[in-house]
Amino acid sequence: MNLLMRGIHKAFGDNRVLIDVNFALNGGDICALLGENGAGKSTLMNILGGVLPADRGEILLDEQGARFLTPSDSLNAGIAFIHQELNLVNDLSVYENLFLGRELKRPNGLLDHATMIDKTLAVFDRMGITLNASMPVRELDASHKQMVEISRALQMDAKLIIMDEPTTTLTDPEVEHLFTLLHTLAGQGVGIIFISHKLKEAVTLCNRYAVLRDGYLVAHGDMQGVTTADLSRYMVGHDLVMEEKAAPQLHGKPVLAAHGLTSEPYFRDISFTVHQGEVLGVTGLLGDGRSEVFRAVFGDLPYTAGEVLMDGQPLTIASPAKAVAHGIAYVPRDRKTNGILKDLSVLDNGSIVTWPKFAKNGMVDEHRQRAAFHAQRDALRIKMGQDDDPITSLSGGNQQKVMLAKWLSIAPRVLILDNPTQGVDVGAKEEIYHIIHRLAREGTAIVVLSSEATEIVRLCDRALVLFHGSTAGEVSGAMLNEYDIMRLSTGG
Amino acid sequence: MERLKNARDRAVRLWKRQPLISTGLALLLMVVVQTIALGFDYPSFGDWLTAWGRNWINLLRNNAGVGIVALGMTFVIVSGGIDLAVGSTLVAVGAMVMALVDVGPNGLLKALGISGIPAYFIAILVGVLLGLALGESTGYLVANRRLPPFIATLGMMKILRSVTQQFTQRSSPTIPKEFLNISNFRIGGEIILPIIYWLILAAILHVVSLHTVFGRQIFAIGSNERASRLSGINVKRVKRRVYTLMGGLVAITAVIQIARIGSMDYANAGSGHEMDAIAAVIIGGTSMSGGRGSIIGTVLGMLILAVMNNLLNLMGVPPFLREAFKGLIVILAVLLQKRDDSNT
Repeated sequence: MNLLMRGIHKAFGDNRVLIDVNFALNGGDICALLGENGAGKSTLMNILGGVLPADRGEILLDEQGARFLTPSDSLNAGIAFIHQELNLVNDLSVYENLFLGRELKRPNGLLDHATMIDKTLAVFDRMGITLNASMPVRELDASHKQMVEISRALQMDAKLIIMDEPTTTLTDPEVEHLFTLLHTLAGQGVGIIFISHKLKEAVTLCNRYAVLRDGYLVAHGDMQGVTTADLSRYMVGHDLVMEEKAAPQLHGKPVLAAHGLTSEPYFRDISFTVHQGEVLGVTGLLGDGRSEVFRAVFGDLPYTAGEVLMDGQPLTIASPAKAVAHGIAYVPRDRKTNGILKDLSVLDNGSIVTWPKFAKNGMVDEHRQRAAFHAQRDALRIKMGQDDDPITSLSGGNQQKVMLAKWLSIAPRVLILDNPTQGVDVGAKEEIYHIIHRLAREGTAIVVLSSEATEIVRLCDRALVLFHGSTAGEVSGAMLNEYDIMRLSTGG
Repeated sequence: MERLKNARDRAVRLWKRQPLISTGLALLLMVVVQTIALGFDYPSFGDWLTAWGRNWINLLRNNAGVGIVALGMTFVIVSGGIDLAVGSTLVAVGAMVMALVDVGPNGLLKALGISGIPAYFIAILVGVLLGLALGESTGYLVANRRLPPFIATLGMMKILRSVTQQFTQRSSPTIPKEFLNISNFRIGGEIILPIIYWLILAAILHVVSLHTVFGRQIFAIGSNERASRLSGINVKRVKRRVYTLMGGLVAITAVIQIARIGSMDYANAGSGHEMDAIAAVIIGGTSMSGGRGSIIGTVLGMLILAVMNNLLNLMGVPPFLREAFKGLIVILAVLLQKRDDSNT
């Protein structure tokens, strides 16, 4: 099936999001759809997926005009949208998820389980994967859940699959497996639109690309001979100057340390020390337990053995509130579930931590609260409208900066960042790196948790590599490179 | 033309930012209809005005009790919870206060030789403390033992009314006349004290909801409990306090109602309060899933319910049918709010 979107315009109020966009995709092509947050990628795909109507323009499928008023219109036309947050029912089995809403029935009206299982296995066969169709989805890991989503799309006879950042929760081998699968599907004539922030992956996987910037389609074509540097230049409109890694420097006194920290089944016998002005990286593959270690340090998860020390003094941190009182700040992963207060304003989200600090007799001091937030807003260059706008009106990168802002306004001594650039575009990513380095120079002890080895190498002075909840090694200096990190994190 | 369009855009934006405008307009409309229904068949304008004012005072006074409960319910629902136990807490506290101020043979304070103002003071203090303690217990079940609020408060609702009825079977307390002054003392010849209590509490809680750390944290928790915890908020303590505050407000309501009529029917008093309070909160635009809402909205919601009831009364709609209209208006209000949501 060949897709052509012609002259697409879309505006939200005065904000023009898409301006005369022409986008084409032939069956069997894998096209990378790139752009910074707010460039219009999601809007374009939501128009294709029937989630939003276009203001102007037309969609042609095999040269036939199509109108998608609802997501099911677009699904019926053979277009499947696989969102970043997977749409599976955890309590149902794999095949039940595949047939959700279109269950097969026997003449007597009861469900025809046998045929559904057979058809599920047929789809798996077509994809070249082996998976138990009767297994509850809850027991699958992220990559297999994604495969179930893709199978569902194929089961519904999708000719075009849109994948929104499918690799963010996957480990490297899983990503490779996914790519093989997508190539298989492309070989069968399925068109794939691959939305991602990871340019390397786009170059490896795709044979076409399309770049959006500020609502315009600024570049598109064959991926042959295109480099990641080209793509990032199209995305930001100028050359990105990647900052050189700061020279190793002497650090101050140890601030936060842990000895033999254990919390089964997540992690065991973890020790580390982070100094004033130091950026300590903690990395590993999925299931390494790094998030759990620092949830424990922050008082969000009880630990059974070991101790946490601040300035050499043992501490009992029973709750996040206690950790905050000791000057520890924590920006969790998965902003949407752990960070954002979706009903509250930008200002409230950015100052929730300072309410008690700037309070007189229990009353929030709104003047100081606002002043503190504005100082951070300017320092972090948060792009936002009014203080009272909902937090959800900001782009991912700016939401993440607000998450940082709320902590920086209490000047923490230790800042723990879990996946700080998740769902953040290239430009904002660089800015966040700058902010982290500035804070370190100002004397904050920083811990960065990340699964991206490049990010660890770029940001950190020293890194701890975990493997299945145990320390696999520590790297610094010349050892702090992607190769050694990968070697340690795969248990080698 | 252009200017007209701009004005319209501004109005639409204001409408979306301030959903309470539509609630206020709905109330205004109902007041107009209510005024017409009251009729103009009076000898003079002065007489009409007196009748109109009387009608309003009655309406507000009859709803002040539930109105106060609805204020606390706003906090509970904004925090992501629900409290079904308010009616039973009301009779439990009511029974306690009545037993204390009773001047008959079974009066507790009378037996200790305490009477008059000190007795009333002690009775109210003990009543409010009991309300706070009952609220704190519910809060403990919800916050510390992680019971779903619906279950915890359903349990409390059953327990409190049943125990109260068991222990008050043979008692018929006599409430001293002076105690009734708490509600019935006339100001300008009218009994308006319950209305004043309601409005004062509404004003205080409005400020609490918007300008105190406690108030803001309730909204944060209702919006995203996990994010609030990870931002260093003591979620358990805040949630407990929300239910404690609810208990305290119910206790105040109990005192006002006893002082208003001098007795309390333990089997029926306060039953239905929880649903009326929840209805007022919902009509006032507070989200059932928490994180969004306002005290002003709740007061407007309560007024809409009250004016509607009054209107139906004036139009001679039989009492049994009036409840149906209440249900209708709740459904209508939420449907309208849903449409607002999907447009933005």
